[in-house]
Amino acid sequence: MPSERSFRQYYDEELLPTLQQFEARRQGIVRCFVTTVIVAVVVAGGAGLVTLAAHTSPAIFAVAAVVGVAAVVLAWFLLTRGFVLDFKHAVIAPIVKFCDESLTYSPKTHISRSVFRASRIFQHSIDRYSGEDHVHGKIGATAIEFSEVHAEYKTRHRDSKGRTHTQWHTIFKGLFFIADFNKHFTGCTVVLPDMAERTFGWLGKKLQEWNVARSGQLVKLEDPEFEKLFVVYGDDQIEARYILSPSLMRRITDFRNKTGKPIALSFVGSNVNLAITTGKNMFEPRLFSPLTDFSMATEYLADLGLAVGIVEELNLNTRIWTKA
Amino acid sequence: MIAVWILVAIVVFAALVFFVMYNSLVGKKNQVENAFAGMDTMLKKRYDLIPNLVATVKQYMTHEADTLTKVTELRAKATSGTLSSDEKVDLNNRLGKMLGGIMVAVEAYPDLKASENFQQLQRSLNEIEEQLSASRRAFNASVMDFNNAVEMFPTNIVAGMMGYTRRRMFEIPESERENPNVKELFNA
Repeated sequence: MPSERSFRQYYDEELLPTLQQFEARRQGIVRCFVTTVIVAVVVAGGAGLVTLAAHTSPAIFAVAAVVGVAAVVLAWFLLTRGFVLDFKHAVIAPIVKFCDESLTYSPKTHISRSVFRASRIFQHSIDRYSGEDHVHGKIGATAIEFSEVHAEYKTRHRDSKGRTHTQWHTIFKGLFFIADFNKHFTGCTVVLPDMAERTFGWLGKKLQEWNVARSGQLVKLEDPEFEKLFVVYGDDQIEARYILSPSLMRRITDFRNKTGKPIALSFVGSNVNLAITTGKNMFEPRLFSPLTDFSMATEYLADLGLAVGIVEELNLNTRIWTKA
Repeated sequence: MIAVWILVAIVVFAALVFFVMYNSLVGKKNQVENAFAGMDTMLKKRYDLIPNLVATVKQYMTHEADTLTKVTELRAKATSGTLSSDEKVDLNNRLGKMLGGIMVAVEAYPDLKASENFQQLQRSLNEIEEQLSASRRAFNASVMDFNNAVEMFPTNIVAGMMGYTRRRMFEIPESERENPNVKELFNA
């Protein structure tokens, strides 16, 4: 990972001119948008006054209000869509290349649904799946791929009047990361955040043992801090321990404590998959504050660093076993 | 009349609970056996690697011929199948120590260290040692589970009836727990 100073230099020399162009464009967009809002409010307000004065039905006001809101939303959509994509190509892509030469960035693609499902971290069936900000490349000896992913499922229910309401629930929203793991293995081992043991202690562990919803056996590991944070299910007890060496358990615990965000891992098909619920939309341009702010650029680099740093954090470049 | 039905219900319930606990204890005992067999499988992998290792290393490490002969002897003994459980554990501990010593001694032979054949072997050995360690951890975990069931209430009552007692975990002998003296490893 490049240092703060070299990034500052890169920022001043390469990024700042581009950012200044985008800043001008952004200000234009904001002005346009604010104008649209004012116009919509005036029109709706005017219609409201007319309704009050002429004592006609409130339908005119309602129509004006709806049209106003629709106009505002449409304006926002049209103005920002092109802007965000151009920004990502012009600013985020170079930052990714600066982070590591081998990485390629694609703003509109994402990790495929089948790969996401194949990780077996989330078992719920997916009704809606989307994502963005796809990066892939090779850090040292480890091939990596990551993107933002949003997976949801829907529930339908009928209310008292017989209408069906659809509700969307989030299965996962955050950063999904895949890397080539440094050991050979054949089965599947899943590491999930441990709610039960933290709340219920020994009884929680018993409940986990009886959890038939998860395929695979419960694997009880020796690191107490790791066990407090995570619960492990695996096809094979020995293979799970081969993968989760004491050193790796320590590293996963440290990473979890460092990021402070819920993480889940799985080891399948010779890869390690990591799902981090970041709680924010990464690599987006801020539309209501100056784009030339250096802290914004460092935030992009830090978010990138979080993902790319996983290779270092989990020591994936140590290749002393039979897998090269 | 009702009293009789309540009594029957209680008896059936107690029988069910007993049945569940009995099965769980048997399951845990079998898991220990399974894990022990798992350790054996990993040990066998190590035995299988040794002839190749000795053959590759022998040509270069002319000074270590003694150690290599000893390793081959120990391996033959281990695979002969005539040892008791404790003897087997002891022998494998010694074998492990010797293999460690050989890998350290290789540092003095840069030609050997650079050879691709040896590097492959080194990776395989690392993998086997790590898998062996994993199998030992798995064994200890299953023994802990079993011991918990045998000693905790209420399964300890059923365990007492079945005659199950605590089992020993896989322990590393005192001598191995000390930091290895590299000089001694060479002379072992």
